[in-house]
Amino acid sequence: MNEENQNNMPAGVVAAEGKIEVPAGGIKLSEERKDSVINAWTLALVGAVASLTILCTVWPDPYLDVLAFLPGGLVITFQVTILSILCAIPLGLITGLGRLSKNRVINLIASTYVEVIRGIPLLVQIFYIYYALAKFLQVSGLTSAVIAISFCYGAYMGEVFRAGIMAVNKGQTEAARSLGFNKVQTMMYVILPQALRTIVPPVGNECIAMLKDTSLVSVMAMPDLMQFGRSYAAKTYLYFETYTIIALIYLIITLLLSKGVSILEGRLNYYDKRK
Amino acid sequence: MTNASNEPIIRIEHVWKFFGQMAALQDVSLNVHRGEKVVIIGPSGSGKSTLLRSINRLEEINSGLIAVDDVDINDPKNDINKIRQNLGMVFQQFNLFPHKTVLHNLTMAPIKLRGMAKRDAENLAMELLKRVGIGDKANVYPAMLSGGQQQRVAIARALAMKPELMLFDEPTSALDPEMVGEVLDVMVNLAKEGMTMICVTHEMGFARSVADRVVFMADGQILEVGTPAEIFDAPKHPRLQQFLKQVL
Repeated sequence: MNEENQNNMPAGVVAAEGKIEVPAGGIKLSEERKDSVINAWTLALVGAVASLTILCTVWPDPYLDVLAFLPGGLVITFQVTILSILCAIPLGLITGLGRLSKNRVINLIASTYVEVIRGIPLLVQIFYIYYALAKFLQVSGLTSAVIAISFCYGAYMGEVFRAGIMAVNKGQTEAARSLGFNKVQTMMYVILPQALRTIVPPVGNECIAMLKDTSLVSVMAMPDLMQFGRSYAAKTYLYFETYTIIALIYLIITLLLSKGVSILEGRLNYYDKRK
Repeated sequence: MTNASNEPIIRIEHVWKFFGQMAALQDVSLNVHRGEKVVIIGPSGSGKSTLLRSINRLEEINSGLIAVDDVDINDPKNDINKIRQNLGMVFQQFNLFPHKTVLHNLTMAPIKLRGMAKRDAENLAMELLKRVGIGDKANVYPAMLSGGQQQRVAIARALAMKPELMLFDEPTSALDPEMVGEVLDVMVNLAKEGMTMICVTHEMGFARSVADRVVFMADGQILEVGTPAEIFDAPKHPRLQQFLKQVL
């Protein structure tokens, strides 16, 4: 992570202005780059929207027909994404705190969870929960999708939370404890609010990756965007047209989300700004 | 002024502290009385910061006793968080909460820990900020302040809990030279108001003018204790004589 930004003590005096940080997560616009009219983000978004518009206006048949067929799938895609985010973030926080815990047992449980989940592909996890575990417990497609994705991403996010919490200067804990705050209060009032700054960009990126990975749920016939596309293509044999539209839609959504993340990130830097 | 003045507020008895194989504190004993100003000096690595940090259990000692108001701070039966509320601490690196405004840095602990009403806490905070000379900076974030201003806020933050005792861990060591004076002024005023203070510092001028007793430490041991006059004008221990030759 951007360690320079973490060192918040004398950093007030030696502010990191004018310094271009290489972002940890990747998709992020720094203040400097926002000023220029053309950047990768704008280029990609304008390109994607223009392509979609041109395709649908110049050749409404078949492109507009494909587009009109897909909204139903988008609902499921968003549903799975949002539910998975709502489960994965608390899971990630608990995992991150568990990995930092001095309690051996808690630490071991959290670490084992991360090791195991990180070592199994998400696609395999989805198959495992939906098909393999069906031997003991029948769960709906939506439930298995959310369980599989949030368990997978919970493990990744656990590492993000852990790193973010560790990046907060140790002096902050000491200052809070010396005032009389207990461990939980110190975490809630002092450490987490500061860790959030490091945590939000990579967690935002994980959420975007999560949205993309929901396309995997089409393998269990969940009617998401990808599955809608697959069935349309299978019916009409318009593979090129269908998957072009699908790709553009995913691209536009993720570009908009990544913009949202970078706006949020800017907001979280409020206390660094001088004057 | 009955027995309160005779009973030490801090009792440190035969304290040992190890970092791995290294004995950071070796059989250290020291009493501090109410209203007393004790300044601890010594070369770096002498254990003076470790001793100070042991008093509010930021460092856990390996053996011996540390009692605040006759309460053994290392006894798990005693609530260390309650004890710490009465021990203000000021750090070398200020450690202000960067995500809170100056005012919130001061009001957070009194509101959440002492259950003080928000308005009362803010009035108290403003009064303290004025006392340390930065009443006009209440609503800015710490990053906008100079080091000296940050350290004065840190002192005010500790005072907002109305502690019985203030611990200073090299409060001026991270400051640019021109800012040392403003922080020392605040500390001198605090001393004049009768606050009990234990201060680790390299500011010999401050030690000489403020301290009731100066403690000299080296190699994890207290080698000499005396009034500023005894320590600075008639040092007995050869290590102290050598140390003073280097710093004065």
